[in-house]
Amino acid sequence: MALLSFLDRERSVAHPGYSRWLVPPAALAIHLAIGQVYAFSVFKIPLSQLIGVSKPAAGDWKQTQIAWIFSFAIVMLGLSAAAFGQWLEGAGPRKAMFVAAVCFALGFYISYFGVITHQLWLLYLGYGFVGGIGLGLGYISPVSTLIKWFPDRPGLATGMAIMGFGGGAMIGSPLSIKLMAFYKSAGDVGVGKTFLTMGTIYFIFMMFGVFTIRVPRDGWKPEGWTAPAKANAMITRHNVEVNTAFGTPQFWLLWVVLCTNVTAGIGIIEQASPMIQEFFKGAIGPVAAGGFVGLLSLFNMGGRFFWSSVSDYIGRKPTYFVFFVLGATLYFLLPRTGADHLNSIALFVGIAVVLISMYGGGFATIPAYLRDMFGTHHVSAIHGRLLTAWSTAGVLGPVLVNYLREYELAHGADKSSAYQTVLHVMAALLVVGFVANLLVRPVSDKYWMKDGSVATADSGGH
Amino acid sequence: MSENTKKSSPVVILAAWVLVGVPLTWGVYNTLLNSMKLFQAPASSVPASAAPTK
Repeated sequence: MALLSFLDRERSVAHPGYSRWLVPPAALAIHLAIGQVYAFSVFKIPLSQLIGVSKPAAGDWKQTQIAWIFSFAIVMLGLSAAAFGQWLEGAGPRKAMFVAAVCFALGFYISYFGVITHQLWLLYLGYGFVGGIGLGLGYISPVSTLIKWFPDRPGLATGMAIMGFGGGAMIGSPLSIKLMAFYKSAGDVGVGKTFLTMGTIYFIFMMFGVFTIRVPRDGWKPEGWTAPAKANAMITRHNVEVNTAFGTPQFWLLWVVLCTNVTAGIGIIEQASPMIQEFFKGAIGPVAAGGFVGLLSLFNMGGRFFWSSVSDYIGRKPTYFVFFVLGATLYFLLPRTGADHLNSIALFVGIAVVLISMYGGGFATIPAYLRDMFGTHHVSAIHGRLLTAWSTAGVLGPVLVNYLREYELAHGADKSSAYQTVLHVMAALLVVGFVANLLVRPVSDKYWMKDGSVATADSGGH
Repeated sequence: MSENTKKSSPVVILAAWVLVGVPLTWGVYNTLLNSMKLFQAPASSVPASAAPTK
């Protein structure tokens, strides 16, 4: 057990001279790995042909059954981030990253046994449940550490890490495809060995983050940086305890802000490929639509870094105002770009990529917004609880989009007009987010932690 | 007991960024290649009904 004491918070306090620029790569190692979850769809077809190999055979799993693996993982991401955030604040980022790496890799290993024994429940348990805990812990583990290392640029710092989550799918997808092609044989689709290999690769990669992460020592500040003398009412110098923050109106307003922004973004992501084909029937086929989806993922990732960095200059609240005002306007205009109106593919694509950049930006800017409202002390734990808004949107977004579309089609609308209604509802959702953002005010002093409790809990290089 | 005040080596910092930057660049490159398919849509396949309305 002495070996594991290396993971303790006290052992991860940075020595004087330790460069803070080593911390973002450590965070990126975790987020680039766990971001693989968004590439899970590449396993859907191979998993549905484990017996038949070249095509589904009797006894093979159905794609609808396989889809639950991803859903379990995402639900567990939100739940574990909410449940273990407070533990993480005490245990420190290194231990949390280590547990995340173990869970994430273990998820792949359990799934490997599920594949070779053809037991679907082992994939639900492995990739979905155990791996999902790794996702949640990994997602929030570097956030508060980054904010403490970059008090001058918290948006940029968290944006770099959360950008990695977007980039993780871009690595995970081609990596999985190449590994499955490598392991494929006459009687094997290669997915089992791919799980085993990916679990090992990601564990080693995440260990780089575990060994590199450091927390700043007490009283550390960037060289030459002093906290602004002029107080900004929207950036607190106090701390709010996680359970207290949970009961403040600011927490729930930011919950609505994140939920509406994510739900609206999912409206595009969920329907991106069929939507562009319906809007420009004949001009855009499935292959080009696949390219459009790829372009969206690039802007989703880039938007995370861009918008969170911008928020350091213009402020968190104004950044979300841009998302909601510009977003609502663009969602309203998007149906007008179709073949029956302006017929501009370029305009459609241009609007969609801006919208998706703001979807990503919403994820990356929220940790810094929470830090501004509640201080740095419990920001990871508060962020963890706020991620339930993401889980909610993950269910709400697709349900809303699919239900509305089906309803419109059932009532005689053509496919293109059905999208129009969906997109207008997304614009209305962003108006709700705008109002929630408008109502965000500084947290009342009655919620602040007492100085004594901060000092005690801050010991150990927090 | 003397405190370790050694500054982090720029080589170590660069190596850390390369370690995460290389797979990320590979992923972005693959996605970019895939995105190019959007711009390879054959213009001749545009039916008359998809022409501008005005």
